[in-house]
Amino acid sequence: MQEQHADTQSSGGAPSPSKPLCVKCRLHEGTLDSRSQLVCRDCFSKFISAKCVKQVGIIGKDIRNPGSGSGAASQKKKYVLGLSLGVSSSVLVHLLNENVEYQLAKGRAAPFDLTVVHVDSSSLFPNNGSSSSAEETLDRYRKRYPRFEFRRVPVSDVLNLSTVDWSTLLPPSDEKTRPENEQQLSELVDRLPSSTSRTDILRLFTRHLLISATRQNECHALLLGHTTTALAELTLAETAKGRGFSLPWQVNDGPVAVVDYQPAADEPTTSQIQIYHPLRDLLRKELVTYATELTTPPLVSDLAISISSHPSSGPSQQVVSHKDLSIEEVMFLYFAEVEENYPSVVANVARTTGKLVRILGGPGAAGNEEAEDEDETTANGTSDKKRERCGLCSMPLDEQGDERWRGELGDEDVHQKEGGKGRICYGCERSLRG
Amino acid sequence: MAPSLCAICKTERALIKRPKNHAKLCKTCFITIFEDEVHHTITSSKLFYPGEKVAIGASGGKDSTVLASVLKTLNERHNYGLDLVLLSIDEGIKGYRDDSLETVKRNAVQYEMPLKVVGYDELYGWTMDQVVETIGKKGNCTYCGVFRRQALDRGAKMLDIKHVVTGHNADDVAETILMNLLRGDLSRLSRSTSIVTGDSKSDVKRSKPLKYAYEKEIVLYAHHKKLDYFSTECIYSPEAFRGSARSLIKQLERVRPSAILDIVRSGEDMARLVPGESSSTCGGTCKEKKTTAPVAVEDDIGGCGSTNSRAPGGEMAAMEKQLRENEASEGLEVDITKTVSQRKDGATDNQKALPLRNANKNSKPITRQVLGNCKRCGYMSSQDICQACMLLEGLNKNRPQIQI
Ligand SMILES: [Zn+2]
Ligand SMILES: [Zn+2]
Ligand SMILES: [Zn+2]
Ligand SMILES: [Zn+2]
Repeated sequence: MQEQHADTQSSGGAPSPSKPLCVKCRLHEGTLDSRSQLVCRDCFSKFISAKCVKQVGIIGKDIRNPGSGSGAASQKKKYVLGLSLGVSSSVLVHLLNENVEYQLAKGRAAPFDLTVVHVDSSSLFPNNGSSSSAEETLDRYRKRYPRFEFRRVPVSDVLNLSTVDWSTLLPPSDEKTRPENEQQLSELVDRLPSSTSRTDILRLFTRHLLISATRQNECHALLLGHTTTALAELTLAETAKGRGFSLPWQVNDGPVAVVDYQPAADEPTTSQIQIYHPLRDLLRKELVTYATELTTPPLVSDLAISISSHPSSGPSQQVVSHKDLSIEEVMFLYFAEVEENYPSVVANVARTTGKLVRILGGPGAAGNEEAEDEDETTANGTSDKKRERCGLCSMPLDEQGDERWRGELGDEDVHQKEGGKGRICYGCERSLRG
Repeated sequence: MAPSLCAICKTERALIKRPKNHAKLCKTCFITIFEDEVHHTITSSKLFYPGEKVAIGASGGKDSTVLASVLKTLNERHNYGLDLVLLSIDEGIKGYRDDSLETVKRNAVQYEMPLKVVGYDELYGWTMDQVVETIGKKGNCTYCGVFRRQALDRGAKMLDIKHVVTGHNADDVAETILMNLLRGDLSRLSRSTSIVTGDSKSDVKRSKPLKYAYEKEIVLYAHHKKLDYFSTECIYSPEAFRGSARSLIKQLERVRPSAILDIVRSGEDMARLVPGESSSTCGGTCKEKKTTAPVAVEDDIGGCGSTNSRAPGGEMAAMEKQLRENEASEGLEVDITKTVSQRKDGATDNQKALPLRNANKNSKPITRQVLGNCKRCGYMSSQDICQACMLLEGLNKNRPQIQI
């Protein structure tokens, strides 16, 4: 490949022959590896921005679509961004800020309002650092990106949400209808059978809180920082946790159902929210390069981002025994390795999972299954209401799969531990009861 | 208090911690529950009918030996009325099969089952040693797997048996699910989760009664029943995707023992979500059929029994290269359909395979392979010519050069 560039660099102003040219602009020296091609710093940055801007454009169009919103095309778009303080979601903040600055510099209005929400789990997961440090870290973001609002939401706020069917988390013997304070919530988390379970449940709480923040602010969409690498990790981690059925809802962009278990109402009500992953076409290692080498001052040092560990591990994580790792961390380490040599394979995992079909409809009904496209909001709204959903993760219950599994495995296998009251899916069952 | 007691009988000392769920059991209860669980799988999936003649694919290794032992026990205990036969394949790898075939011969005596040994030379005109001489050591896991898969069916046909059971366990199934996710092959993912493979077009039905049994429990069962088996390992390294998936499974099991079964569960559920899969479009009506309805073979589950971990390069590198070429040729806009179909044809099946394979294939739609029969040998195949015949054609072309 390098010989090729040597042929083409006859024009003046080129660097010395020993240094390869950027394959994109053919003007500057190619110093960075982008999908196995050498490119210059400029072209690398442009590539990163372009991938993100393209997705943001798609979101903008989706939101304008009369089917999905309140139909106010002139109304300014409002998004919530979930910030884990890891490299991907931080880069997403940076890129969106760049996008806004660019539009303003052109004399246009800002294309959207952004509220950045960090769910702080340090109180329940002490090894994730103290909450004061989360607030301090957020101050760094506030200073760097004054246009955006940054909010810290303690994970214990999940107690105030009615999108969780709290009865599923309590044993039937318990008189309470939900944990009443942070202490009880913390005990509940401590009782979970493994590190994987705790990470899994924390992820669900975080998701509930981000969705709630999006709805409270009447925002049009929730943006998540998942890279293509993270989506591949998510695919395999959820598969390993028995949550394969819910993957089409988790990996794709578009509408996701939100269930409300209002104590006053007899029946839970279902509504919708749009979730997007604007960095879905980028690899994590590309964002690490971007955050360490291509931003000034470098995001990594300026915002105190840890790049070597899974966001759920927190910055203070010591080397632990392999048994204490969560499945998420195993996948993080695994894909960090695969991504090094086989980035396209990683990207292909996420693309492939995206093709799985969302099955709708209730159990037993003939012809009850149909594909749910991103824009199929009305069909979704009507048939979803009849469908039972998991009280913990809000994903559809897979009656057919549950029945078959019971048939195939028999009862001996199942731990006859105390079960909760509400209905939950197979994956949540595993996390709660091991 | 005395050392902990068995969680089931509560009288004997617990000597075994079940790998599957860490329940503490005594030896007797472990053996009983292991057998009961296999029995449950067999009855709930309606794998057999009374009087059925069934060939057990026997390699002399732990999985097939345990399968033979358990099937004999259950056949007698529950009056399945099965006519069980051991069917062994001799790949023609010098030194590799000698000991394991001796093991199978002893098993035949121990379990009072007839034994039929079929050689690759008989079936294909090639022993594996001759294959390796011709194409070198790389990539012959493919040959070994493809040939072995058909060998069992062809051997069964010779014996006029229409059902072959194999010793594939939960670890194998989980491994295949992760492998197919890694290589983006939804079609194979959905097929590999089925307990029964083969359809009306194939003369031989395949099933895996140990599909839900953990490999570690199979080892424990063999140990405590003092079964006579041979620790075989395929001497060739597995393809990169399988090796990678295998090491990942081991790590996941360490972190959460239920992960293996959870992957199987996810795989079965995802199989219903694959676009174009018949099972995802039928309503509740075909529910009963689903457990026993056979699907196409070619599941290539567990080609070899090697425990080699991640082998470098190979299939993974080939696929990476193919995907990059697709991306480059399509500019920034990657057409997903094309990517997948090209990958499927180019890199999934073989790495250093013979050039004629690629030349012969055109892009096919990704969603569903239409199954027909091989025009040469009649074996069920999604191509005009089945994998084995393709491989053989390449081998036969090479033979004169090598041997002259
Ligand atoms: Zn350039
Ligand atoms: Zn759930
Ligand atoms: Zn016992
Ligand atoms: Zn053929």
